[in-house]
Amino acid sequence: MKKIIAVILVMVFAAAIFGGCNKKDEGVVTIGIGQFAEHASLDNCREGFLAGLEEAGYKEGENLKVLVENASADTGTAAQIADNFISRKVDLICAIATPMAQSAYGAAKNTKIPVIFTAVTDPVIAELAKEDKTPTGNTTGTSDKLPVKEQLNMIRAILPEAKKIGIMYSTSEANSISAIEEYKSLAGNYGFEIVESGIATTADIPLAADNLLGKVDCISNLTDNTVVSSLPLILEKAAQRNIPVFGSEVEQVKIGCLAAEGLDYFDLGKQTGRMAAQVLKGERKASEMKYEIIEEASFYCNKAAADNLGITIPEDLVSEAKEVFNTIAE
Amino acid sequence: MEVIIGILEEGLVYAIMALGVYITYRILDFPDLSVDGTFPLGSAIAAVLIVKGINPLLTLPIAFLAGGLSGILTGLIHVRLKVRDLLSGIIMMTALYSLNLRIAGSANLPIFSKSSIFDNPLLNRIIPDYFRPYLVLAILLIIAAIMKLILDIYLKTRSGYLLRAVGDNDTLVTSLAKDKGTVKIVGLAIANAYVALAGSIYAQMSGFFEVSTGTGTVVIGLASVIIGTNLFKRMPLRATTSVIIGSILYKACVAAAISFGMEARDLKLITSILFLLILVVSHDRKRRVKANA
Repeated sequence: MKKIIAVILVMVFAAAIFGGCNKKDEGVVTIGIGQFAEHASLDNCREGFLAGLEEAGYKEGENLKVLVENASADTGTAAQIADNFISRKVDLICAIATPMAQSAYGAAKNTKIPVIFTAVTDPVIAELAKEDKTPTGNTTGTSDKLPVKEQLNMIRAILPEAKKIGIMYSTSEANSISAIEEYKSLAGNYGFEIVESGIATTADIPLAADNLLGKVDCISNLTDNTVVSSLPLILEKAAQRNIPVFGSEVEQVKIGCLAAEGLDYFDLGKQTGRMAAQVLKGERKASEMKYEIIEEASFYCNKAAADNLGITIPEDLVSEAKEVFNTIAE
Repeated sequence: MEVIIGILEEGLVYAIMALGVYITYRILDFPDLSVDGTFPLGSAIAAVLIVKGINPLLTLPIAFLAGGLSGILTGLIHVRLKVRDLLSGIIMMTALYSLNLRIAGSANLPIFSKSSIFDNPLLNRIIPDYFRPYLVLAILLIIAAIMKLILDIYLKTRSGYLLRAVGDNDTLVTSLAKDKGTVKIVGLAIANAYVALAGSIYAQMSGFFEVSTGTGTVVIGLASVIIGTNLFKRMPLRATTSVIIGSILYKACVAAAISFGMEARDLKLITSILFLLILVVSHDRKRRVKANA
């Protein structure tokens, strides 16, 4: 028995050396999509990316081969995914979310493989781009900077009396920390005070939520991966105390956040896909393209959530909404 | 070719870490979990110092010392405060998570645009272009070799002998009128210094510090040590050499798993299965069971 296992192990080692030597099909472009974590916003981003490519003439299964890997929010895995794409000599890497983008950028630095990132909140802080939005290397993409101003404005319109906004974020996500800073610097203009609560892991959320909900008039979400994954729990606790929770994008409103001024991640992905297509066609070089952001935020609201809280969302807001949900999705 | 270079690069960085784990796990018989915190500690220190403009080469000894300090603390918790070995490691690992965030100032600190030991004006001037793809590997090879030699030499000194004695038979140490607690602390200090050094190199190789990089380091370290020391048990290789090869083989396995189309999300499962297989093959578990009985 032991000998058999030993033989298998040796075979695996051998395969590792010879593995990864893939043949290339003519006329087919291979791209690697590395997604940092699995949640609805990033999934939409990926779907949008493929839609954007398809619009530009790259259809999966016809002239496009797509390798999709998910790092499950582990930086070590992200690095391995990036290395794997490089050794398989993909024509382009699409990196979704900051740590994935940085891993891909680092891995591709000495190759000619372009990296197109998306859902990176601050490409400048992440050193993927310079102040003037030009790339630091052969990499470009799109940013999902939160429309904080619009969000604060909307919260003021819906809750004229509210004073304190609670925000929960994980200390390990750089994106969230820069978003918190922006919230803090703008909150005063709208007469709000920000109460922040940092957590390290999902396990900290129940206690942190209880503590935070006791101190604030409403909660506003970032695009924090850890917090968003535990959103149903936060919503439930907030509902018990009749405290409204504002989301940061459409998926969160769908599952019961009162409202959000958010980005459409599908659109963001699509825009990224179009940029990738330009690079693949050789029309432009990633190293010469500025990164792009979606300027416009859209309003989403959930009427069922509003009814539960006994809140009326002003009619002028509802009439401008991109999408109004009448039920809370499970 | 790129695949092999990639595996060797990753394997060598983690080999330096695995040498540290070899000291605690194999020599001291101390399952030190604080490694998950000391590895990113080295990364954080390297990233912060490089951002501040310090010579990247200097970050290595600084990270080495900081790792040593962290090892001393783990040791003090265990020896002086009489906390069980596993728990002392967990306490340090948890504390280091916050400490690393404090040191780096943020959860993610990129150093792509800065000089590193792999990419700096001096190297760029003297290294010809055709050698560039092998540069990282060559530098890692040199560092790993130096660190291995230093450890080999150290283990032959008086202090090194005592270290080995504590793991095998600690009454012998007491009979030599030496304090076995102090010897343990010294061992933990050296081990964690190696781990932090590996972390500082890893940050410079990947181009950024990320607070979560440490998660699972101890598993990689243990797997490397167990693969290496068991697979080459009967070969005339020094244990330190086996550990380095073990680390490379481990990375090769992971690379194989990915290239066979395993999904990245299954990676940890594959890691643990692989780990278990190696333990079964190598009989290692029996020794453990007896030791704990």
